[in-house]
Parts: sequence; C-alpha cells; structure tokens
Amino acid sequence: MAGVNDRIVRRTQLGAIARVRWQLFVHSLHTTKGALELFSRIVLSLVITAGGVGGAVGLGSGAWFFVSRGEIYWLAVLLWPVFLFWQFFPVMASAFTETLDTSNLLRFPLDYRSYVVIRLVYGALDPSTVIGSLWLTGIAVGIGLAKPHLFPWAALVLLTFAAVNVLLMQMVFAWVERWLAQRRTREIFAVLFFLIMISFQLIGPLMSRYGSTPSPMLRKFGAGASPIQRVLPPGIAASAIAQMGDGRVAASFVSFGLLGVYGAVVLRVLSVRLGAQYRGENLSEVLRDASPRAQRQAVRPGWQLPGISGPVTAVLEKEFRYLSRSGPMLLTLITPIFMLLIFGLGQGRARPDAGFLQRSPDLGFPAGAAYALLLLTNLIYNNFGGDGGGIQFFLASPVPFRKVLLGKNLAHVAVLALEILVVWIGASILFRPPNISTVIATFAGLLFAVPVNLAVGNVLSLYTPKRIELGSFGRQRASQLTVLISFAVHLVIFGLGAATLLLAHSYRSLWLATAAFLTLALLTLTGYVFVLQRLDRIALARREVLTSELCR
Amino acid sequence: MEIPAIATEGLTRRFGDLVAVQDVNLRVAAGQFFGFLGPNGAGKSTTIKMLTGLLAPTAGRMQILGLDFETRMVEVKRQIGVVPEGMALFGRLTGSEYLTFVGRMYGLDRETAAKRTGELLEFMQLADQPKKLVTDYSHGMQKKLAMAAAVIHGPKILFLDEPFEGVDAIAAGTLKAMLQRMITRGATIFLTSHVLEIVERLCSHVAIIQRGKLVAQGSLEELRAGVESQVASAGNSSEYASAQKLTLEEIFLHTVGGARTTEQELSWLG
Repeated sequence: MAGVNDRIVRRTQLGAIARVRWQLFVHSLHTTKGALELFSRIVLSLVITAGGVGGAVGLGSGAWFFVSRGEIYWLAVLLWPVFLFWQFFPVMASAFTETLDTSNLLRFPLDYRSYVVIRLVYGALDPSTVIGSLWLTGIAVGIGLAKPHLFPWAALVLLTFAAVNVLLMQMVFAWVERWLAQRRTREIFAVLFFLIMISFQLIGPLMSRYGSTPSPMLRKFGAGASPIQRVLPPGIAASAIAQMGDGRVAASFVSFGLLGVYGAVVLRVLSVRLGAQYRGENLSEVLRDASPRAQRQAVRPGWQLPGISGPVTAVLEKEFRYLSRSGPMLLTLITPIFMLLIFGLGQGRARPDAGFLQRSPDLGFPAGAAYALLLLTNLIYNNFGGDGGGIQFFLASPVPFRKVLLGKNLAHVAVLALEILVVWIGASILFRPPNISTVIATFAGLLFAVPVNLAVGNVLSLYTPKRIELGSFGRQRASQLTVLISFAVHLVIFGLGAATLLLAHSYRSLWLATAAFLTLALLTLTGYVFVLQRLDRIALARREVLTSELCR
Repeated sequence: MEIPAIATEGLTRRFGDLVAVQDVNLRVAAGQFFGFLGPNGAGKSTTIKMLTGLLAPTAGRMQILGLDFETRMVEVKRQIGVVPEGMALFGRLTGSEYLTFVGRMYGLDRETAAKRTGELLEFMQLADQPKKLVTDYSHGMQKKLAMAAAVIHGPKILFLDEPFEGVDAIAAGTLKAMLQRMITRGATIFLTSHVLEIVERLCSHVAIIQRGKLVAQGSLEELRAGVESQVASAGNSSEYASAQKLTLEEIFLHTVGGARTTEQELSWLG
C-alpha cells in the first residue's frame, strides 16, 4: 500500500515540477524579451535539428553501406564519433547546455528516487542528446534498410547505447563540476590535464614519423587498441548488432548485457554525486580554508596598472579573481588546446588523407586563435551574468558603466592574449612554429574581430543579460537571443576574414590580408569606442531589466 | 534655509498598471536618523531604489544634498552609501577583496582602501576567515559586509533597506553602534525596517508609506501627538489606554489600519 502511495506522491511531484516549469515558460512570454528568447530558441532548435538530421542522413548512409556489405563491425566507426560528440559537446559549448538547478527542490519532501528521475529527465533535455538521438535514429534506419530483420534488435541496442550516453554525460558533468569546485581538486585536475597533453604531444610526433610506414610497434599498438575499443560502449554496441547479424545470438545478448552493465556502473558512479547533492552538499572553497589554523592576514592593496584608472583596474582585478575561481570557465578556456590536439593527431603529414592542419600547418595558429576568440563568447556577450546581485553595486556606484565595461573588456582581452600565447606554443609543438607573416596576419585579424565582439557583447550584456552560475558546470547557458546574435556576428566576421584571406591567396601575398585586416580594424576600433561612449545611457535605461534578470 | 539631505517632489513609480509609489514628497534634514516604514508591498524598497539610482522614477524629482539626482547622478552617488535589498555583493570574492574593490570604485587610493578594509573587517568581526568567499558567508555576515561596503568611502547619506533582517543580536548591536557613530559625526541615515523596536530606538524621524502613498511623516513625537489627537477626537480614548506613551508599533498600526485581528478558519492546521 505504501508503495502505491509513494508512486502517487512521486507522480504528483513530477507533475507539479513539469507544471511549474511550463508556467515559468508561459510567464516569460509576457515580455518582449521573453518572446524574442522564444523566437531565438526556435531558430537555434531548427539549426540544431538541421545538424541532427543532416548527420542522421550521413550516418544512416554509412550504416546502410557497412551493413549491406556485410561489414557490420564497422558500425563502431560511426558510433565512436556519436559517442565523443555526446560527451564533449556539453563541455565545449556550455552556452547551449543547462542542467536543472535541483538545489531548490531539496526543501520539499522529495524522495531520492524522484530526485534522480528529475535530474536525469531534465538533464537529458539538451542539444547533444537531441543531435545524438537523431544520429542514432539515422544509424538504426540505415541498418533497417540494409537488413530489415535486424532493425528491432539494432533499435534496442542503440536505445540502450543512447541511455548510456545520457548517463555518462551527466556523470562526467557532475564529477568535473565536483573536481573543479575546490582549489585542491582543481589543481589535481589541472595536473592530470597537462599530463594528458604531454602524452598527446608524444603521440603526435610518433604518428608523424611512423604514419606512412607503420612500424611493428605502432602496428602492435593499433592491434592492441582495437580490442580496447571493442570493450567500450560504442564498440560493444556495434558488436551486439554485428553478432546478431552474424546469427551469434548468445554472443549478441552477452554484448548487450555488457552495455547494460556499463549503464548500471555509470548510474552507480553518477548516483554517488547525486546522493551527495541530495544530502545538501556544499561545493565551496571554504571548508578547507576556514580551518581554525587560518590566521588573520593583512589586507593587500588592490592592483595598480600604469595608465589605467583605479576603478577600471579594480574591475579588471575582480574579473581575474572571478575567472580564476570558476572551474567551468577555466575548462572552457583551455579547450582551444584540445581542438589543436584533435586536429594535430591523426595521420602523418605524408599521407594523402592527412587533416588540413597537417597539410597546412601554418593554419594551426590562426585556427586556434579564432577558436579561442569563439570560446570567449560566453564571457564577452554576457558580461554581468556571473555578477548576479553585484549588478546593483555597479548601478549604485559612481563609476560610469563604460568604465566598468572597459575594465571587463580589458580583462577578457588579457585572457584572450594569454590563450593565444598558449595556442602559439601548442601550434609550434604540434605542427611547426608559424611564420612571421602568419602571426602578424593573425594579430591583424584579431584586431579587427575582437573590437566587434566586444562592442556587440557590451550592448547585448545590457539588453539580454542572463544570470549564470560561474561555480557550477551546468548553469552557464546564456540568453538564447544572445547566442543567436553572436552566431550572426561570427558568421559575418569569419565570412569577411575568409574573403580577405582568399583575396590575399589569389595575389599570393599574406601581407595583403594583413593590410586589409588592419584597415578593417581601424573601422571596428572606431565603432567600439563609439559604442563604449553610449553605454552609460543604455545602462541607465536598462537598469530595471538588469536588476530583475541578474538579482534572481 | 538649510538644504535637506533628501528631498523628493511628486516621486512616482508605475509598473504597468500598478502604481507602486505615488506622488511621494519626502523631506529628510541633514543629520537625521530617518525611518521609512510601511507594510509589505507598500513601496519602501521601490522608493529606496529610486533614491539610490537603482530604479528610474516614472515621474517626480529627487534632490540629494541639494543636487538634482537626474542631472548630477554621479556626484550624488559619490556621496551616498547603499545597502540594497539584495545586498549587491560579489559572491566569488573574499570579504577583503570585496571591500578593497568597493573602496577603489569609490575613488579611494589603494593604500587607503586596504587600510579601511582591515579596520572595517575587524570592526564587523569578519577578519577571522580571510579566505572565505562571500558566497559562503552566513546571511548575517553578508549583511555586515554589505554595511561595511556601504560606508567604506565615508558617505554623507546612508540608505539601508532592511539592514537588521536576519541579523543576530550580536551583529545587530555592532551595526547599531556603527550607525550611531555615523549620526554623531553628522551623517544622514535613511533606513527601512520591519523591526519597529529598533527603528523607535534609533530613529528621530519617521515616514510611513502605505499602498504607495505617504500617509505620515515627522518626528516620533509629532507622529505620536497626531495619533493621540486622532484617537481623542474619535472619542475612542480606551484604545491605547494601557500605555502611557504610544509605542511606534501602536502608531504604525493605527496609521496603516493594521490593528485588526483575524479569525480565519485554516482548520487543516490542526
């Protein structure tokens, strides 16, 4: 009887949460901003769906090709990209991703099972799940078209594979959030990251050296890697389908069971984090630092930077402190290196199927720099998102908003400069040191692109602010209108950049591109200053929206 | 004629059809400890937000220390300190980082900002945990920090929205001591609070707002005399017969008409 009552209570609670989210959504439509948000969300959903459907057609064709040729084991080649996308996209594109903040639910008499269900259901509503699901549907359809009798089994296996992906994504999110929340674990995480980077850097030259004529050692490594991939979820899912296709039913069931075991293990590891959250865990820096040993310290004066006024320096210092304490933001900032690593690996330079960065190694630096700028979007286009209630201070203080935003812009430019230095080092190690004309052209391109981003970002920060939680991995999503506009801005910038480079290429002179970028930079810098001077007025007019959005 | 510290004329704020503050004419003399009272939703926070530049009025004028708020906003902001409803803290800074940041935003040089930060942290008993982030402070500690931030630049007027809400007796004592010290040095304090005992003890002058309109304004004695004469003229002298001197709570309840008792059902409460 109690079980029945529990079920009813659970259903009532889940229904109530769904209803309150629906009501919040409906209420948000009562304002122009809310309507624009909905419009942007629809446009972005269409883009995401288009990407999903396009990928589904491609992967479906691939699946049909492999299955109809009897090479079903090659499905692993299709499932691995899906798997990697599913796991990495939420981390690398946090502006799109949002996990439900369940901490507010803890005050209600919600049992643990309901709590887990809510986390899993709402956590699954993100673009990577939508795109991943569409891709898997495409693969299932491709298999079904090639061998219709295999479709039901393939659908079941791929559904389970999808569930494993959803659980693993949430597990990775929850644990990375945990590791990045405190200084000690953050340092361990950083060390691990750099060890991985160094190991990647050893693999790169090895592959370049042995790529064209695989050595016995490398062959041995490849032969060893194949069984390893087979015991990981994409390989197991492919095996389960292939074994059924070969008529090895028992083996297929064993593989399917293994996939289920993966799901169960991942759920178990995830539940360790969810359990801690359910008990009201506090992931703060304080616990270690607030030990009785902590001594009173003399207050250190703030920073002093030559040529920059006190208030602007104060804002800049504050931004650096905030960024250095935001694990998710730090991780976002190192992803350009990941991208270089991904493009830097693969086949050796001599191979005809080598990636474009192997064929044009000088492009490694500009590509990395452009990606670094792209990743700063989340910061630049939502300048006050992490400040939350602190926006009231900016509004009440005698410092004009243009100075506040100038301080923030300087901090972001400094971060970008640091990132570009790291990208230069990475590109030099992975490919070769970019030549001087490439470096100068890249800087000229950045001089053109950065002011546009800063100017648009400053305006959007005042028009479509969105509170984000810098300490939490899942609550980074910017306003969807901001995301849409930033897409358009990047489209224009990269379009202009590509046109300039093509023009320079046709004249065989990169210096031409440098000159063109510098001319464009003059225009964009003027535009930046023009916009900056008008920000005080905009901020005053928008103060109600700023406080209502950011002080929630 | 002495320039008032705060003067408003026809101050009005509408949110769509709702008139949150209507035609408010306030006058607070320099050096006064001024309590701004009202029931929930009466318009106290809206008024304080307008007076500190956090919200634009729909109509009316505001003068702070004789300066027109609209045209000389930055000058005004330099001379006031604010503890708004949300406290305006930056959660991911430590207490000392936050205070030095605030000090520099108000134009203090680095050394002065650091010196005053140290003194304020000591005074507010917040110096024990230098590495603790503001977000991890208790509510009372955050209130004390917000108060420290509001005074670090030595403002002439201090606006406080519910400064004693959620603050324990020890912290409240610290805050009161600081406020009284500021008053003796000539500052003006404008505060809203639901803790009427504290307002009665601290404030020399009071205004009461109800449904967006100012319904009473003056010194405590003036308000008391007004209520007593109203009661007397209504021939209902037994209403406050037990008290020799009306308390602020009685004055408040009489003014806003909140002395009614409710006998609602709520039978499910058991």
